[in-house]
Amino acid sequence: MQPALKSTYKAPPLLPGWTEHKAPTGHTYYYNVETKESTYKRPVATAAPPTAPAASPASSFWQHQAVPQLNLSDPNVANAFMSQYGQPQHQPGQQRGGHGPGQRGGFQARPKPQPVDKPRSKVAIPGHEPWILVYTKYGRRFAYNSTKNTSYWRIPEKLMPAILELDKARIRQKAEGIESDQVAASEEPSRPAAPEQQQKDYDSSEYEEVEVTDDEDGEREDDGHASKRQRTEDLEDAENNGPVEFTEADIAAQLAAMGADYNEDYEMGEGYDDYGQGEAAAPLSETDARELFKDMLSDFNINPYSPWDILLEQGKIVDDPRYTVLPTTKARKEVWEEWSRVKIQELKELRQKQEKKDPRIAYFAMLQEKATPKLYWAEFKRKFKREDCMKDVKMADKDREKWYREYISRLKLPQSALKSDLKKLLESVPLSQLHNRSSTSSLPPAVLTDLRYWSLDTKSRDEFVEGYIAGLGPPPDSTGQQGQEEDEATAKAKEERRKREKALQDRERAVQEEKHRQEKKLQFERARLREEERELERAMQVSKKGLQSQLAPQDA
Amino acid sequence: MPPIRPSSKRKPPPDGFSDIEEDLLIFSNKMKDAQNAPSDNIPKHQAQWPIFQISHQRSRYIYELYYEKEAISRQLYDWLLKNNYADAALIAKWKKQGYEKLCCLRCIQTKETNFNSTCVCRVPRAQMKGEDREVQCVSCGCRGCASTD
Ligand SMILES: [Zn+2]
Ligand SMILES: [Zn+2]
Repeated sequence: MQPALKSTYKAPPLLPGWTEHKAPTGHTYYYNVETKESTYKRPVATAAPPTAPAASPASSFWQHQAVPQLNLSDPNVANAFMSQYGQPQHQPGQQRGGHGPGQRGGFQARPKPQPVDKPRSKVAIPGHEPWILVYTKYGRRFAYNSTKNTSYWRIPEKLMPAILELDKARIRQKAEGIESDQVAASEEPSRPAAPEQQQKDYDSSEYEEVEVTDDEDGEREDDGHASKRQRTEDLEDAENNGPVEFTEADIAAQLAAMGADYNEDYEMGEGYDDYGQGEAAAPLSETDARELFKDMLSDFNINPYSPWDILLEQGKIVDDPRYTVLPTTKARKEVWEEWSRVKIQELKELRQKQEKKDPRIAYFAMLQEKATPKLYWAEFKRKFKREDCMKDVKMADKDREKWYREYISRLKLPQSALKSDLKKLLESVPLSQLHNRSSTSSLPPAVLTDLRYWSLDTKSRDEFVEGYIAGLGPPPDSTGQQGQEEDEATAKAKEERRKREKALQDRERAVQEEKHRQEKKLQFERARLREEERELERAMQVSKKGLQSQLAPQDA
Repeated sequence: MPPIRPSSKRKPPPDGFSDIEEDLLIFSNKMKDAQNAPSDNIPKHQAQWPIFQISHQRSRYIYELYYEKEAISRQLYDWLLKNNYADAALIAKWKKQGYEKLCCLRCIQTKETNFNSTCVCRVPRAQMKGEDREVQCVSCGCRGCASTD
């Protein structure tokens, strides 16, 4: 089997530049940042022994498409490709998918969730009518008050006698069962060690006996936390109401609620839980998750025009923790779709704005950079004919020539004249366009399309303009408010992003802690089960007759 | 096969081409790889599958950019069709009801098949039973492209 192979096999080191990744399909592949190549074949030094392609033999033709730019000119890669390609495709549950994995259904990347404990059977507790004793799949049990809709791992004291009766009745049944079934009885003592968590079916009544001995050896009374266990007011009026139907949904809700009580249970060494998927951590809101995913796309500078499949193939985002804030590939694609539409729209608008920019600005900027009295217009034109602004059809060549001559003649003026010209220009611009919040990088077109602005050398010009702007008043109300609103909008967006990133961190930490706690708990449970195992064996050694005689008084 | 990137002699592509140039190049490279891939040890009918698939993906990409996201101009879209970056005939089918996900034109031709009907991949998945659901069509390797799939 593959897992066994994997655990003993040690992969040779990757060649420099290559990194290992997991494709959404679960395949390992390798990516080279520099060459932007990717491959299934582990890139190792040629001396290294050949390694099997990491893809499973069951990999389908479509899954292949998850690898971009397979370099099939490399015979090794090609062979690996073909060897998988030629495999029969037995993949039950494989999505029918036309072409293109992202198109329908897509990848099934997420591992199946761990089995979760759930109620299996229930029994009314005689004499305590609203109370029900619920047994779970993993053999745990809890008391449930169907009226108050509350449940307790720790059996309330006042229910204990009645439950003890139930347990005794069950032992009796069990003992009779042994009588009628020799095989079962003889097998019982040699039962293998403590049941594993992964074992799903504790159908066995054995486990129930574990619980019984649990009660009988007085472990519950021993732990000394009785006062802390239970809010007695919950129990006081519990008997006032009749029994209530206990539906599947109720049970599910109860188990979910029990997840929250779980900490206390654990501290006391009680309870047995399987909420390993981080349910205990406060979940991220869906909006936060979506926004985090979008932040990630923006941070990676993903081209919004790129197709989703190629994005996945390149694997840039799959290792980011924000990739998994959304649970399914379908959800991810949906958010990507939304993000890409908005981004494309933004880009469009930005370009429209740029297009509106006066073509003269680029031309004048070039004049400032390249024009010199040493060149006649014809020479200048020939020399720079490849420049965009020389080809721009929005300007006539005649105008370009006129501006060139004017610019050259201005070059011959003294600095003081140029400065006073610039001052005149600036003074002609209304306060709504030029004010103390303007900056040298955001000057209005009225300034930028005037040769007087371009005639001074950049450094002294910018200094001059800066000084002039500083002496201006604030912009008239309307435009100023707009600017302020924009500032507030960006500040708000920043704050929101900070919040959701914190939520993500919190969640990750909580998941870590939960994992840690699960491990500790598992260890504890194993130890406890071993102990109970011994108890059970002892109990089983009590002969059938002995047991029956023990119980005889109650029967009478 | 689409032309190699336009040379300086040719008229430059319409605005917006640079937004998708890189991804088109990825598709072109994939296509080249698929065409150069050795086909000795795979069944003959399967040899063309990767080519069909890449061609489909690329057409789909351009179709979605133009019709769904409105991300490219009509000018650029026409230019891409003219230069064979996308299969205009296939896209024309996608616009028709019942053919929204069609894999390739071969799969709706009735003449070549034995039963004088369209390809097995056109049968809605809901109508398939058991192992038939995993079937791939012979012509292009499609696993199912009925609109309801
Ligand atoms: Zn098809
Ligand atoms: Zn087809």
